[in-house]
Amino acid sequence: MALVRNWQIGRSMSYWYPESRPQRQFAAVFDVNKCIACQTCTLACKTTWTSGKGQEYMLFNNVETKPYGYYPLGWDVRVLEKLGPQPWDGGRYGGRTIFEAAEAGERTLGWRPAEIDYAHPNVGEDDCAGQPIVNGAYYQLPHLSWFFYLARICNHCTYPACLASCPRGSIYKRPEDGIVLVDQGRCRGYQECVRACPYKKVFFNPMTGTSEKCIACFPKIEQGLAPQCFLNCIGKIRCAGFVHVPEKADPENPIDYLVHVRKVALPLFPQLGLEPNVYYVPPLHAPEPFLEQMFGPGVHEALRTYRGAAQDPDLAGLIALFGSTERIIHRFKRRGETMYGYDDKGSEVVHVPMKEPVQVLTAFDARRGVAPANVP
Amino acid sequence: MTDFTRRHFLEALGAAGFGALAASATRAFGLDAVENPLARYPDRGWEAAYRDLWKYDSTFTFLCAPNDTHNCILDAYVRSGSILRIGPTMRYGEASDLYGTKSSSRWDPRVCQKGLALTRRFYGDRRVRHPMVRKGFKAWVEAGFPRGSDGRPPPEHFNRARDEWVRVTHEEAAKIVAAALVNIATTYSGEKGKELLLKQGYEPEMVEATKGAGTQVMKFRGGMPLLGITRVFGLYRIANAMALLDAKIRGVAPGEAIGGRGFDNYSWHTDLPPGHPMVTGQQTVEFDLDAVEHAKTVVVWGMNWIATKMPDSHWLTEARLKGTRVVVIAAEYSATSTKADDAVVVRPGTTPALALGLAAVVVKEKLYDADYVRRFTDLPLLVRADNLKMLKAEEVFGGGPAKLGNQTLVQRAGEAVPAPGFQRDMIVPEKLRNEWGDYVFWDERTQGPRAISRDEVGKRSPLEHARLEGAVEVTLRDGKKVMCRPVFDVVKEYLAHFDPKTTEEITWAPAASVEALARHIAKAPGTTLFAIGMGPNQFFNNDNKDRATFLLAALTGNVGRVGGNVGSYAGNYRTALFNGVPQYINENPFDLELDPAKPARPKQYWRAESAHYYNHEDHPLKMGKTMVTGKTHMPAPTKSMWFANANSILGNVKWHYNTVMNVLPKIEMIAVQEWWWSTSCEWADVVFAVDSWAELKHPDMCASVTNPFLTVFPATPHKRPFETRGDIECLSLVAKALAEKTGDRRFADLFKLVDEGRTDVYLQRVLDHSSLTRGYKFTDLHEKAKKGIPALMMNRTYPKAVGWEQVHESRPWYTKSGRLEFYRDEDEFIEAGENLPVHREPIDSTFYEPNVIVAPAHPFIRPKGPEAYGVAKDDLSCEVRQGRNVVKPWAEVKRTSHPLAKDGYRFVFHTPKYRHGAHTMPVDVDIIAILFGPFGDIHRHDKRMPNVTEGYVDINPDDAKELGIDDGDYVWIDSDPTDRPFRGYKPTEKEHRWARLICRARYYPGTPRGITRMWFNMYGATPGSYEGTQTRPDGLARNPRSGYQAMFRSGSHQSATRGWLKPTWMTDSLVRKALFGQEIGKGFLPDVHCPTGAPRESIVKISKAEPGGLEAKGLWRPAAEGLRPRYESKALETYLAGGFVQLGKKGA
Repeated sequence: MALVRNWQIGRSMSYWYPESRPQRQFAAVFDVNKCIACQTCTLACKTTWTSGKGQEYMLFNNVETKPYGYYPLGWDVRVLEKLGPQPWDGGRYGGRTIFEAAEAGERTLGWRPAEIDYAHPNVGEDDCAGQPIVNGAYYQLPHLSWFFYLARICNHCTYPACLASCPRGSIYKRPEDGIVLVDQGRCRGYQECVRACPYKKVFFNPMTGTSEKCIACFPKIEQGLAPQCFLNCIGKIRCAGFVHVPEKADPENPIDYLVHVRKVALPLFPQLGLEPNVYYVPPLHAPEPFLEQMFGPGVHEALRTYRGAAQDPDLAGLIALFGSTERIIHRFKRRGETMYGYDDKGSEVVHVPMKEPVQVLTAFDARRGVAPANVP
Repeated sequence: MTDFTRRHFLEALGAAGFGALAASATRAFGLDAVENPLARYPDRGWEAAYRDLWKYDSTFTFLCAPNDTHNCILDAYVRSGSILRIGPTMRYGEASDLYGTKSSSRWDPRVCQKGLALTRRFYGDRRVRHPMVRKGFKAWVEAGFPRGSDGRPPPEHFNRARDEWVRVTHEEAAKIVAAALVNIATTYSGEKGKELLLKQGYEPEMVEATKGAGTQVMKFRGGMPLLGITRVFGLYRIANAMALLDAKIRGVAPGEAIGGRGFDNYSWHTDLPPGHPMVTGQQTVEFDLDAVEHAKTVVVWGMNWIATKMPDSHWLTEARLKGTRVVVIAAEYSATSTKADDAVVVRPGTTPALALGLAAVVVKEKLYDADYVRRFTDLPLLVRADNLKMLKAEEVFGGGPAKLGNQTLVQRAGEAVPAPGFQRDMIVPEKLRNEWGDYVFWDERTQGPRAISRDEVGKRSPLEHARLEGAVEVTLRDGKKVMCRPVFDVVKEYLAHFDPKTTEEITWAPAASVEALARHIAKAPGTTLFAIGMGPNQFFNNDNKDRATFLLAALTGNVGRVGGNVGSYAGNYRTALFNGVPQYINENPFDLELDPAKPARPKQYWRAESAHYYNHEDHPLKMGKTMVTGKTHMPAPTKSMWFANANSILGNVKWHYNTVMNVLPKIEMIAVQEWWWSTSCEWADVVFAVDSWAELKHPDMCASVTNPFLTVFPATPHKRPFETRGDIECLSLVAKALAEKTGDRRFADLFKLVDEGRTDVYLQRVLDHSSLTRGYKFTDLHEKAKKGIPALMMNRTYPKAVGWEQVHESRPWYTKSGRLEFYRDEDEFIEAGENLPVHREPIDSTFYEPNVIVAPAHPFIRPKGPEAYGVAKDDLSCEVRQGRNVVKPWAEVKRTSHPLAKDGYRFVFHTPKYRHGAHTMPVDVDIIAILFGPFGDIHRHDKRMPNVTEGYVDINPDDAKELGIDDGDYVWIDSDPTDRPFRGYKPTEKEHRWARLICRARYYPGTPRGITRMWFNMYGATPGSYEGTQTRPDGLARNPRSGYQAMFRSGSHQSATRGWLKPTWMTDSLVRKALFGQEIGKGFLPDVHCPTGAPRESIVKISKAEPGGLEAKGLWRPAAEGLRPRYESKALETYLAGGFVQLGKKGA
């Protein structure tokens, strides 16, 4: 075991391997307030990577309804239950991570789902929690009855549990982008990773006898393009990029800006200790205790900042820029009413107006001989 | 690997630390050592496998355009000749028009999961691979169309949905259809034909409506034709050409020939908000969805925006991010409610009452925008207390009607007008103009009446001093004195009934929400967008809903502004976006223009008809002996149907089971053009196998009511994988077969340009003659589309906002007064008790007396009650209910109950649309189906599942518990036993079993007590699919003969619905603009003023059928595991409360 630094929990922790951060870490921001659960991301991934035999139950990307939706069944409830209630005071997590809570002889605290746990990938869709609806209701924020959508891919963690657990050393992190991969040639299907990953984002393929997982569409990343689930995100909730550690945050980098500068995007279950690299803007309408459990103590500040976005053109403009190009945006800038995105070489890849401008044609165009009426 | 072996393995490995493991793994497996896989990995050559998976040979674009309004040009990625995957083109941000208007990349990406899953449809197992003819039908045709003495074919030839299918060529299919059309038209032509129809029991008015032309009993439908200007609209071109057949059969001159009948679309789908023309005189008011970021508030009302307008949902969430307040009103805590600042949950079907309640607060607290009210509405105009008619200037001042000149042209009889696309001013026939006269208001300065003409609206309106409240006595020209009241005053008196508390009782919207919302909207007039969805529109009171919501909007200045407007969102419809379409559909078949360089000379021979009469057991509405359906609406008997792009007309028809059991037996030919074996194919006689969007060889085009794009369906380079033809080629084949059969060569010329590969000529003619597209070259648009770039429609405004000219340029509305009209003084409305915007209870989906008008005693509400029709006052049977005008105040209504309540029918059952399906594209493709709600399972652990997913009903957990139903159980759902699933249904009859609805029940805490929901977009059971469940070893609900796959073991969501006709949908007097262009007329107009039905209405009984667990034992697994609402394990309870992290607590 080694002692590693995990900034998300504000302390060091023990991990199977010594700390070694990649040159760049692939990361993402998902704005839950924009997610519409359309599952276009899920299908984009499925039709690209997992439409083969043995992959029927396999969704590298899925969208589930919180709190009653889970893929596989009960994944987060079960790992949290195993871990038990944990304390978190201020910036420093005082509880145990899944590495620290591992039973003797285990590298992580984990559990392995049964095949049937994957059977209903959208169980709980749109099921609401909170106050039961009897007849009418009138909710202002936060809503007393509530649910929200959680889009999930592999978190390409800084401290992956899958990687730590693999007895064969078949899982690695790419030094150039931090993407976590299961070597399909070397894997023998022991499924230690399936058991270890608390997010349950490694899947066993009974046809090939290997475990498979999200590859962050590295063939696209290598070309400067966003992964399929980002390109196809019509809710435009996603921003792909690279994240630094807080000390090296670059305010012009969209991910750093949202994660470190504005602190509006938070990791998923940071208390588990994996330093996951998909960051979520929490939903405005859900109860805060639930969000603290899911995103950590930063949730209050994040919500406050997001609520103020109407008076915050850089933040609002950046979030409205999400998904307007297939290229990865490495830097962004606002000039007046226009948002600009640039690639890693500093070339502009997209610009969009903060608001689509209203444009009015002439009442009658003598040249065309027609009146372009709105009631034709 | 079992846990034992796993542990054993770990122990054997001697896992003691990272270094030790790496070393031991290396030793154990002979692998390269991996010292720290965070840092370095030895051999990464295998990564090439994923790069190879990513590779493709080429791409091409195609347009995906179901009826969801989004119209996405998509990229298809091809490898080895097959489409590997699909993606967005990301080039909507490059659209522009001839004026330099530009869209931005915020419109990208345009795609959705259904589009991505098309790969599974293009090559799917239910793809229609070649043309098919039903065996019995083929035999009937080959036997020379034998008929009985009443003209009906022998029933043994019409064993639909149970019969065998015969594979034929497209040419053979076309010959069969042509022969049947000629035979049917001949049989029912002339006096002999009328006699046969009467013998068969059709209403005399319907038979008379054919005028003796047998072509009139043939119904054609290009489903949602805006989605295919040539290939779908082509069915109407065929209908028009039936005049050639009529001319031949009856031997009449071209001038007297009559074509076929064309069914409606927008209104057939219950997408038309029928009250919009009642208020504005034209089809619908709406705005492009990107307008939302220009509003301060958006009220999303009965619209599940994020589920049904998916690619345009980000406009809503981004507007909210930037400060637009989002209010969501829904009949549940909906998906869209999660994007709301304010969420209001209401009782379904009570939208008119809620709008009236909101308006009541605005009026009572004098918060209305008085200037807007005076300039743009009829509220200041005087209405007579004696006859309930508007007071006319002529009655007071004498003289003729004022001369009109404000963007209006009065047309003398016989005077020619330009083609629709070239019309600028409104065109009012002189006769109509004289009928209307002018109106009168009361001038507070002079304390006397003043005339006002239709021209005087907006800036030209002289009504600054118009009296709004209080009765006045007006002396008529003949000396008679009549009491009159401003419409405002009459409406205000009615609104007082809807105080916040009463509104809460009726609608369930808490009184506090009614008050707060009304005040909020009124605070900043003209800055609220009302986005009103399909939900409220699918109730019988939908025109009440429109009139009441417009009233609220007008009182707060919210009609006709970019950031303040009303929009109705259901379907894609405004065919007038291409108002040059008559160039194609109405090209005179007697005088075809074959020169590609010249325009056509349109002449309409076909007639339109609402398909709701076919859906209403093929008859109009009568109350007692009185015909209630207006003359201009009168349907003809339906003896044949031929349709394309339209599962909704048969497979997913409302009251499906009654339609197939009781209406279809009277229809002698059903021809369907399809590329996926739908429920309609199951019940058809002839199925043409047509190209999917990926295979179109003839380009086409469409546009949308929710975005500004003109999108072209590109002709694709993709090889047809099956024996299919384009829709338009099928039309051409039948036309050629008709030429052969009749000897009339003009039939062969009908699609001559298609045969020559020049479909673009028809498209160019339409572009040239449409006001929003003239100047575009089709070939340019086509080239751009091949690159993934759409064009922009040249609308007056970007974003499009209907009503913009009315508000900003004082252009009169298309009504009699030129104003938004809230008072309807036509006899039909007065008789219905709907001269005012009123609230009627839903016709079936209510716990109270259905369809009752909720009103106090009001001097202006004096309807024609049932007794006046010779009908018993307490007759609440479904037929009579439709024309029943009974008024009761709420205090009395709330003590009534639905007539079936005593028999246990106590659940409102509504069937909205959902994210996983789009219109005629149901949720049946496996990789989408598994994500459809909680029960999808691609491996079907439970063999009772009809498919890899299945229909289900969402029910409030407390209701379910009361019924002894557990989460995931199978339940029976039954509606009114007198007519559903079909008239004559017997539960004991084995042959009827396929029609009764069985499905899973889901505990759904977001729906109120008494309200149940089943998602639409599902393939229902047919006799064949039911047979599959009984005979197939895998238990799939799949027809062993056709491969049809149902999503229910028996029945469907349409087992509980029925066809409904409302009198106010069927008047001869409502004034409204023509479909295309600026001409104003009155009475029936398809997709504008005609029935819409009420497909979301039904009251049902729910009973447990089987336990939800595997092998029909015990609980459904997720419930048994303690992970479902009301079955929460201790851990889940802690989780829900956020108890697994304790903030502020220090660790050990």
